[in-house]
Amino acid sequence: MNEVWLALIAVLPIAVGAVFASVAMRYVSTSAIDGMTRQPEIAPQLFTAMLIGMALIEALCIYTLVVTLVISQKM
Amino acid sequence: MKVEPSSVIVIVNSLLVAIGLIVGGAWLAHGGLSVSEPTRRQNAGEAILQFFVGKAGDMAHGEQRDRIMRLVAPFLAVLFLFIMTSNLLGMVPLPIINRPPTSHFSVTLGLALFAVGGTLVISGAIKGAGKTFLHLFWPNPLQWVSEITDVMSLSLRLFGNIAGEYMTVALVVLVVPIGIPLILHALGLIPAFVQALVFTLLTASFLANAIVHEEKSEPSEKAAKQRHKAAAPRVTAEGRS
Repeated sequence: MNEVWLALIAVLPIAVGAVFASVAMRYVSTSAIDGMTRQPEIAPQLFTAMLIGMALIEALCIYTLVVTLVISQKM
Repeated sequence: MKVEPSSVIVIVNSLLVAIGLIVGGAWLAHGGLSVSEPTRRQNAGEAILQFFVGKAGDMAHGEQRDRIMRLVAPFLAVLFLFIMTSNLLGMVPLPIINRPPTSHFSVTLGLALFAVGGTLVISGAIKGAGKTFLHLFWPNPLQWVSEITDVMSLSLRLFGNIAGEYMTVALVVLVVPIGIPLILHALGLIPAFVQALVFTLLTASFLANAIVHEEKSEPSEKAAKQRHKAAAPRVTAEGRS
């Protein structure tokens, strides 16, 4: 029973991290698509900025993945 | 000392990627180049080159524009091509070279150290070593911490994405060996390209921060006017074509 709880605690960070990262990505992508449909001529620049923003958000999610991997290897 | 087989595989695979890129680049650029009648091979090589020269041209302006572009474009090209080829190695249907080198943390850490160290070296070549050193401690005395966190974030992001995808495919193959992995590989093409692009773009933005820093001292209107002038002919040329 104890091991089950440990496994649940180990995967908790990535679950919570993924939820909030996806919410943040939703804001980035919707506003980028809004801008692209309003002004298609600057779409490439907006796409680049969107990719960088997404990468920074995603980095936080990846940190939690690393934490999860470290915890699960210690078990 | 015990050597793990997976690290040997990773070293061999990254050497394979490097050799492949050198041979491919040499094949694209060897002999028979002409201005009036470019061959198909030359056109392909120039299209790849143009992408990086354009990226470098976006961040460089002022007197040293040509020199900055000549220093920065090969640097970005090496990073992008190496990372993208490594990521795509995971899709090759051969058993041992199937493991992408970027799914190993040592490789991504080395790449990030190369990127951030190269940023410092290039800004030293353009602004001078003294100003580059000063940039680490001025205006914020803890500016050098950001270099370390840049290395961490660049390497962890690339490692997490590629290793996560590799592990997912490896686990799915254990359960369903036929059919489903094809879909996962097809989806994996997107992060393989996007992560290489993101790594290169972030390195380019760090470089732009490091190089353009001194231009902030001059009046901003003048700089904006110069930038506008530099950008104007490019826009009209694009509009005509």
